[in-house]
Amino acid sequence: MEKMITGSALVKTFGTGAEQAKALNGVDVEIEKGEFIAVMGPSGSGKSTLLFALSGMDDISGGSVRFNETELSDLREKELADVRRTKMGFIFQQPTMLKNLNLLDNIILPAAREGRKGTARLTEKARALMQKTGIAGLENRDTAEVSGGQLQRAGICRALMNTPEILFADEPTGALNSRSAEEIMGLLVDINKEGTAILLVTHDARVAARAERILCMKDGVIVSELKLGKFGGADMEARTEQVLALMAAVGI
Amino acid sequence: MYQKLIQNDIRKNKPISVVITAFILIAALLTSLAASLTVNLFGAIDNMLLSAKSVHFMQMHTGDVGLEQLGRFAAGNEYVEAYQVLPFLNIDGAEIIIGDDSLADSVQDNGLTIQSSQFDFLLDLNNEIIEPSDGEIYVPIYYMQEGAAALGDTVTIYDVTFTVAGFLRDSTMNAALVSSKRFLVSEADYETLSAFGQLEQLISFRLKDGTSDADFEADYLAAGLPSNGPPAITYAQVRLINGVTDGIMIGVLALIIILVVIVAFLCIRFTLLAKIEEDYREIGVLKAVGMRVSGIKKLYLAKYGVLAGIACVLGFLLSLLLQEPFMQNIRLYMGESDRLTTLLGLLCGLAGAAVIYAVVLLYVNGVLGRFKKISAAQAVRFGAPQEKSKSVRGFRLSGNRLFSRNVFLGIKDILARKTLYVTMLAVLIISSFIMIVPQNIYNTISSKSFITYMGMGLCDAVLYIKPTQTADVTQKGAEMASVLAADENVEHYTVITTVMFDMTADDGSMQKLRVSLGDHTAYPITYTQGTAPRLESEIAISALYADDLAKTIGDEIILTVDGAEKRLTVCGIYSDITSGGRTAQAIFEANSGDILSIGIPITFHSAATGRRSSRSTTSSSPSPRSTALRKTLTKCSATRLTQSSWRPMPQLG
Repeated sequence: MEKMITGSALVKTFGTGAEQAKALNGVDVEIEKGEFIAVMGPSGSGKSTLLFALSGMDDISGGSVRFNETELSDLREKELADVRRTKMGFIFQQPTMLKNLNLLDNIILPAAREGRKGTARLTEKARALMQKTGIAGLENRDTAEVSGGQLQRAGICRALMNTPEILFADEPTGALNSRSAEEIMGLLVDINKEGTAILLVTHDARVAARAERILCMKDGVIVSELKLGKFGGADMEARTEQVLALMAAVGI
Repeated sequence: MYQKLIQNDIRKNKPISVVITAFILIAALLTSLAASLTVNLFGAIDNMLLSAKSVHFMQMHTGDVGLEQLGRFAAGNEYVEAYQVLPFLNIDGAEIIIGDDSLADSVQDNGLTIQSSQFDFLLDLNNEIIEPSDGEIYVPIYYMQEGAAALGDTVTIYDVTFTVAGFLRDSTMNAALVSSKRFLVSEADYETLSAFGQLEQLISFRLKDGTSDADFEADYLAAGLPSNGPPAITYAQVRLINGVTDGIMIGVLALIIILVVIVAFLCIRFTLLAKIEEDYREIGVLKAVGMRVSGIKKLYLAKYGVLAGIACVLGFLLSLLLQEPFMQNIRLYMGESDRLTTLLGLLCGLAGAAVIYAVVLLYVNGVLGRFKKISAAQAVRFGAPQEKSKSVRGFRLSGNRLFSRNVFLGIKDILARKTLYVTMLAVLIISSFIMIVPQNIYNTISSKSFITYMGMGLCDAVLYIKPTQTADVTQKGAEMASVLAADENVEHYTVITTVMFDMTADDGSMQKLRVSLGDHTAYPITYTQGTAPRLESEIAISALYADDLAKTIGDEIILTVDGAEKRLTVCGIYSDITSGGRTAQAIFEANSGDILSIGIPITFHSAATGRRSSRSTTSSSPSPRSTALRKTLTKCSATRLTQSSWRPMPQLG
């Protein structure tokens, strides 16, 4: 498989002096094209920090991140923003959206370039994605008029607008009930099957069980790794058992 | 999408949107108005000065002019294009009766004149040169605006009756601030009345282009030409004095604009900071998903673009409506500007509104610059950061013994969101400033002692004796002093004689210096530096003289007194608004020199003025002060001085 992201000797520190804390302490990680990786670990282990570092969303204190052979730290802010907008997609625990725009406009907003050019095409694509994620008909709703699950689906639509090569998902099901969480994970698996790589951060073993590789973190380092292979949809319980066993072994 | 964003934002924040729009609208309206008025004011002044062929240099003089000497000077001077001597017949205000009222109480020096043949024309309200017929009189526009005269009124001067045929614009004496006013009559009528008034001559020059006023004035004085009147007036001063009344109005507008813009900016800043704090996570997410900072800024800038756009367009349109009343005074005194100036005024007004629009957007863009500092990762995970100063950290509920829980939380919030609350505090301070400063200015200039900062001592009245009133000013001054000394109403007075002396400048050239001689400690003024002259070898000079002569405390000034050189040391510098701001004070005695006037400041006994009980000047009955004045005046009338020589001290405010 072809490498997409390579993180080498990643270090991220917060604070200074005696209050300094290392959220990442020399992490090496590789993500291949089309791969589905879950990162697990206890609170404060550095999972989300790793996701932000690999996506170029946050500066790193040491090491390097290469995306498609491009060193992200060499890029200017505007170039980095362009890479994130065109090559990467993001889903957050809280699918934060602008309150003064309806769902459809919120989905289109980051993808739209200056001016009105291409808005019709984007609208068409957004509607298709809303159809695919099961929120068709909610285009004109305000963000306050839909459920958490529906809002997260809208967040996924927003992330997919520019057909990203990789989707970064930071606890996408953390704020959802179990039914909504199942539905969202089903969507992510489908997206991955279409070739989009996914790096997902989660606490939940059932969520992580959909990934083909699981990285366990503790105190800013990757302490264990589990390869499950692509999820076909059948052996869900067995995969979850394996994840739980890994967690127990690591002491999470 | 922007349209929806703006519509929804404005709909959800109606009050603050309305307030911000209102402030920007006022700023745009005033800027547009001030820009347009400035252009129109200068256009109208230039237009009038051009139509009137106004003077470039004018010296007033009482007594013989010496036409031959003047003619020789004009013919031999390289700067002179034309010259003329116009009569100005001073008429006692009490003798000018318009309708049923006389101008006895007028603070103006009124006089009759005839139309000039060469330049310095008196114009009608269409800026046409007036040619009055016999029996017609043209009244200064000042009296029209004061409501003292109307078209068709009868004017009686020493039993000669005239009909007000119109009103005149006088390029040199138009402004209310100029204390002389010219009434225009036919040459025949002027001849009839010439025996009654005191004749003053207006010696005027038109100079060639590019002539320096200072150079010409120096030539004029060096030639020893007549100059016993007030300081000469130059074209630049004529232009300035015509613009000063409306200029002050424009200046006040400019001050208000600055304050309104500051308040508008602070309101915008407060709203934006609050909005950024509210939307912190959203902004972080937009950055995270790859939206450029410039793109995110545009989302917020768009709203202010629309609000400022609406406000500036409305402000400009409203300024067009308000121009009419604001332009009324300019039109009345100076006439219409030409079409090009009107169009230019309109364009400048539009430019003024556009400047406000640009300034608002630049400011908003500047405030939004803080988007760059927002860390996408931090915003997504933690939302808006709290300030981490030691004062916030150290202020803990667990350690609090002083405040109740709610008060504690309130203080903590203020400490944690200092930036936001400092903005609010600034709005309050500036709003207070806007309310308090005019009141303080009013109190300051209403204060009796304020006049001492303007070159005048505190007294109840000043009696002036000028060469226009009597041939021997010194003799008349002595007579007046003896009358005042015997008057039981008069508590105190002093005699100040103003004399024009020759002065040897540092470069050896001869210049003129106007010096007031007498006891300057009797009615003290406030000196910005030093003190009043106490020795015969000391001199205090006004700030303008100090600037002109480049002199300061301790420097030497050399005068020619009684034919001998007199060296004086500068002992004080003061601000003065009298006599064109160029005055000096000394206490030595002089028997020669050109006496310009004698001033006698007077204080009445408090029982006579009722100073303690009477501050009211609105009562229809005469105030105790004016009663005391009139009693004294009656006694002084034995000296045959006219009532117009009296100047009650101004009641500022």
